Amino acid sequence: MSTTALTLTPRQRRAFGLLVASEIKIALRRPIGLVVAVGIPLALLVIFGSIPATTRPMKALGGISFFNLYVPTLLVFVLIAVGLAGLPQQLATYRQQGVLRRMSTTPVPPSWLLAAQTTVSLILAVIGIGILLGAGAGAFGLALPHDAGGYLVSFVALVLTAAATIGLGLLIAAVAKTPQIAQGLTIVAFYPLAFFSGLYVPLQEIHSQVVTDISKVLPTGVGYTALHAAFGGHSPGVEPLLVLAAWAVGATLLAARLFRWE
Amino acid sequence: MSTQQLIQPEVGTSVSVPGDRSAPPVIEVAHLHKQYGTTVAAEDVSFTVHAGEIFGILGRNGAGKTTTVECVTGLRAADRGEINVLGLDPRRDRHELHERVGVQLQESAVPDLMRVGEAVELYASFYREPADGRELIATLGLEHARHTYFKHLSGGQKQRLSIVLALVGQPEIAVLDELTTGLDPEARRDTWRLIEGVRARGVTIVLVTHFMEEAERLCDRVALIDHGRVVALDRPGALAIAATASKRVRFVPRQPFSDEVLSVLPEVSAVEHHGPEVVAAGSGDLVTAVVLALHGAGIQADDIQTEMARLEDAFLALTDETPHDTNGATR
Repeated sequence: MSTTALTLTPRQRRAFGLLVASEIKIALRRPIGLVVAVGIPLALLVIFGSIPATTRPMKALGGISFFNLYVPTLLVFVLIAVGLAGLPQQLATYRQQGVLRRMSTTPVPPSWLLAAQTTVSLILAVIGIGILLGAGAGAFGLALPHDAGGYLVSFVALVLTAAATIGLGLLIAAVAKTPQIAQGLTIVAFYPLAFFSGLYVPLQEIHSQVVTDISKVLPTGVGYTALHAAFGGHSPGVEPLLVLAAWAVGATLLAARLFRWE
Repeated sequence: MSTQQLIQPEVGTSVSVPGDRSAPPVIEVAHLHKQYGTTVAAEDVSFTVHAGEIFGILGRNGAGKTTTVECVTGLRAADRGEINVLGLDPRRDRHELHERVGVQLQESAVPDLMRVGEAVELYASFYREPADGRELIATLGLEHARHTYFKHLSGGQKQRLSIVLALVGQPEIAVLDELTTGLDPEARRDTWRLIEGVRARGVTIVLVTHFMEEAERLCDRVALIDHGRVVALDRPGALAIAATASKRVRFVPRQPFSDEVLSVLPEVSAVEHHGPEVVAAGSGDLVTAVVLALHGAGIQADDIQTEMARLEDAFLALTDETPHDTNGATR
């Protein structure tokens, strides 16, 4: 995009606001994204938070409870959902139906629609994460980061992980010719990303060098590791954050390069 | 609601005389050439559109109509040629062009789950001086569909919404591509009335179509495009007459007569007999010449019919159905 938020005129800001508002309305009318990004993680949080065994600290897990171990996984899951469940299919559908083509004949470029979709994904991420942290800490005794530094690192890790998953979503939208292909690619990407966020089995319980190595490369594995450290009061170091930033920048640039408007 | 009453020229608006060639040019295209890989979509297209006219771009599917329009509206860069629209370069001044030129393209839509009123409000916000969206919705007879999702609209309603969206920026030129394709005859006629109403507001209209009847009914001038070239450009009626050198007169004579009575006439090129019916083919003022000659020879004739040249004949005469050897234009 050649115009940035800083150089938008009031009229353009109003147009972008309306575009975001209309994308939000459309998202609420087909709330699958809301269900996957907010409903499923919240349901998992409530289930695991309600089982006494999972909320007891365990020596095998380094003296913390399974629940506390699992919440960073759920946070990463929210980010996988906002990037992959909805965004690529919606953009591929818009391309196939000619929504992007229609906009390209107006003074507003169709890239604004991508920006609006990304904004909606970020809003959804904030809602999903906010609800998980609020409900986890309020109702189930979730241990939040100990200090401001922990919050800062968690925030940076979440932002970078979101940038990486949304970048991957945009990349899928860029290469998928049809919504069906977008859906297929999403499913292919979803399982490894979810697995390395620890959704199925906590990464700490898999004693495999291969798994550890991959988790240091895949954005969800890295994101989980960084969040887990920050929530436990440890520093994750700079390396995971750099890996996440590389994913975010790489996927987004590649998506921008490959994106076809029709 | 009848569409006839829908669009009225605003009082005090200066309205150009339809097809006024002395009106200033608003679109000038000279030697436009565009190809995709080895496929030539537009070989050499030139034409000029004047303010206030309804200008038709007519041609078969794949003749190069849409490519021409996409280059004129700045959606694609031409490989060669000069294009000037309202004094603007469509690529370089694309943003300004889109403020002043409303475009309705094929295969374009708004999201399925967007309501009519929302789409109009959103698109109005894209423009510097938008029209009153509510009024436009009412004008195009979509008032009762204001809260309907796009996906639930009928084909005719979708087309009317796309006219609303093409006009919501108060454009000086509206480019409408295959507007009535897929509509039933009644909806098509309604749409034609709407387009005439839009022109009455002072908007210049470029109408892309492959319907002869549509061009004949609506357009002040028509550019006939075939294999990426403008093969003819004139008023629809003039095009039809120019292209069909031979007209025909049919009649049933009451007495036998010598063909010479007619074949000596300069207007007549051939005389044929089909059972009791005689067909005289020729050009110029054929009917008068034939009737006078028959009268002069004392021959009475019944069922005199003339076959008028139509734009369709011109279309068939001027466009070549067989693909050219050098290229197969597909867009």
